[in-house]
Amino acid sequence: MKVINILLVEDDELDTIDIKRSLDKMNILYKLHVAKNGEEAIALLKSCPDTSSPTFPNIAIIDINMPRMNGLEFLSVIRSTEEWKNLKSFVLTTSAEKVDREAAEKFGISGYIVKPLKLNNPSSIDAFNLMIDLMNMKD
Amino acid sequence: MKISNLIFFSIFFILLLFSITTYVNYTQSEEVRDNAAFLSTSSEIVKQTNRFQRNTLYMERGLRGYVLTGEDYLLQSYDSAIIENDVLLSELATLTVNNPTQLQKLVKVKAVYNSWINKFANPLRAIKPDTNNARNNSLPANYQQFLRDEENLNKIIQKEFRELLNVEYANRAKRSAILQKSEQQTKVISILLTGLSIVVGVVIALLLARHISKRILNMVAMANSIRYGNYKVQVEDEGDDELSELTRSLNHMAKTLEENISLLQRKNVELDQFAHVVSHDLKAPLRGIGNVISWIEEDHGYELPEKVSEYLQLIKGRINRSENLIQGLLTYARVGREEQVKEDVDLNLLITDVLESLPPVRTGLVVRVENLLPTIYTNRLPLLQIFTNLISNAVKYHDKPEGKISIYSKDHSSHYQFFVEDDGPGIGKGYYKKIFEIFQTLQERDSFESTGVGLAIIKKILDDRKEQININSEPGKGAVFSFTWTKF
Repeated sequence: MKVINILLVEDDELDTIDIKRSLDKMNILYKLHVAKNGEEAIALLKSCPDTSSPTFPNIAIIDINMPRMNGLEFLSVIRSTEEWKNLKSFVLTTSAEKVDREAAEKFGISGYIVKPLKLNNPSSIDAFNLMIDLMNMKD
Repeated sequence: MKISNLIFFSIFFILLLFSITTYVNYTQSEEVRDNAAFLSTSSEIVKQTNRFQRNTLYMERGLRGYVLTGEDYLLQSYDSAIIENDVLLSELATLTVNNPTQLQKLVKVKAVYNSWINKFANPLRAIKPDTNNARNNSLPANYQQFLRDEENLNKIIQKEFRELLNVEYANRAKRSAILQKSEQQTKVISILLTGLSIVVGVVIALLLARHISKRILNMVAMANSIRYGNYKVQVEDEGDDELSELTRSLNHMAKTLEENISLLQRKNVELDQFAHVVSHDLKAPLRGIGNVISWIEEDHGYELPEKVSEYLQLIKGRINRSENLIQGLLTYARVGREEQVKEDVDLNLLITDVLESLPPVRTGLVVRVENLLPTIYTNRLPLLQIFTNLISNAVKYHDKPEGKISIYSKDHSSHYQFFVEDDGPGIGKGYYKKIFEIFQTLQERDSFESTGVGLAIIKKILDDRKEQININSEPGKGAVFSFTWTKF
């Protein structure tokens, strides 16, 4: 089984633990790269020599509300950067607001998940399925 | 100029024109009256003159006849005529007193007449005629000559009188011509002045109407614009009259309104942001705590002392309540500020949706729609919120093993009235007001998970729409909540 690199951009430690616990239950091999905000995430992406490098994330899970650079700003940066713009991204947020969802969907995201990310949360289930599909395609 | 002054001056000007017209007509009538007086004097003069002339002729004939015949009765007409002539002369003097030419002529006539009397009439009168012989001795020697002289003088008198009459007639003609001319003038002046008054009046009225109505229409347009929600309107008016003052007040009002409304809109945006922040930032740590508790239970539940598990349950209960409170607060803050989309709302379907969204009703309780509910073209969400809260309250607080919750409506001419009736615990009159206040609940919070927001939300929705809510209840006898909903 191939190791999947997951970039998690999330400032809340509890949420990070929560996501880890959910991913652990998914029966996949993964490596989680955690950035506490958009700036850290960019630094993390920059540390990879290119998109084919073994540490470059296959998938990104991005929170919206974060200090310094929020999720929407980060999405805007990766979508306007040639080598990162195809990065499959999911937004994971507490906000069920229409405005946030619409703003996020403008960046061509693969899914919008309202927290908590749980296998019994309807909005999570679709996202999980999609994530698994995407990850399997990598195999 | 102030409009009141303008109106005052306009009316004053028109009145002035009419006064002039009246004055001119009055002067003319004075002239006519003067002329009438002149005419009457003149005809009197003519009449008297004629009589005088005739008298003089009679006197001459009388005298001559007397001298020839010696008949006394012929003297009688002479005598009465001489008396009358004196009167006539003095009357003529009075009548011509204002006419020096005529008076002068009269004096001349009088002098000639007097000399005729003295020179011829009196001597002839004094003759005692011989009745037997017409050729009397007492007649002057040159009797024929005497009579001729007498006749000549009398002719002079006649001539003078004719002249006097001619002058009088000429005067009359002159006066008549002048009068006619002045009448003509008066007519022209009257017509011109009256015409001018009418024209000036109409022009002023038109100008005033245009001047005022155009500006009033501007203000009406402004007021209408405000009525339809555009507060950024100002009317331009450079004048310094009452309407300009009104315009300035309106502009000031519109500006104040605009400022207050933009302030209100800003506050609403801030409140929205506030609500958003509250929903995210307050809920996040609560959810975090909940997560940690569930991890403890998942990973270590089997090794926890019973007491700890119990306490964890208490924490979870409080987290749940906090989340409900935050949600209630958010809903309350957002009442009336959701998107207001109108649609045909079938209340029967809406009640079905409400019942499906609520937890299943416990056994023993029945929720029933009593009559066919109407379909209204209105906003769906507020009605959904009202029925959800009323029905869930009726179900939640029902305290008997068996019970019934009835939903029905009444059709009034301008509005519907909806009822949610239960046979639960009921509410004392003293609490009618309190239950609609936010975070007020009649149950102890620990014994019952109620946030006390539901009825406050209902009240706010109905207050915003100027609808009524009523409660009819007594402790132990259930409660009937009713509210009105305008048809259109």
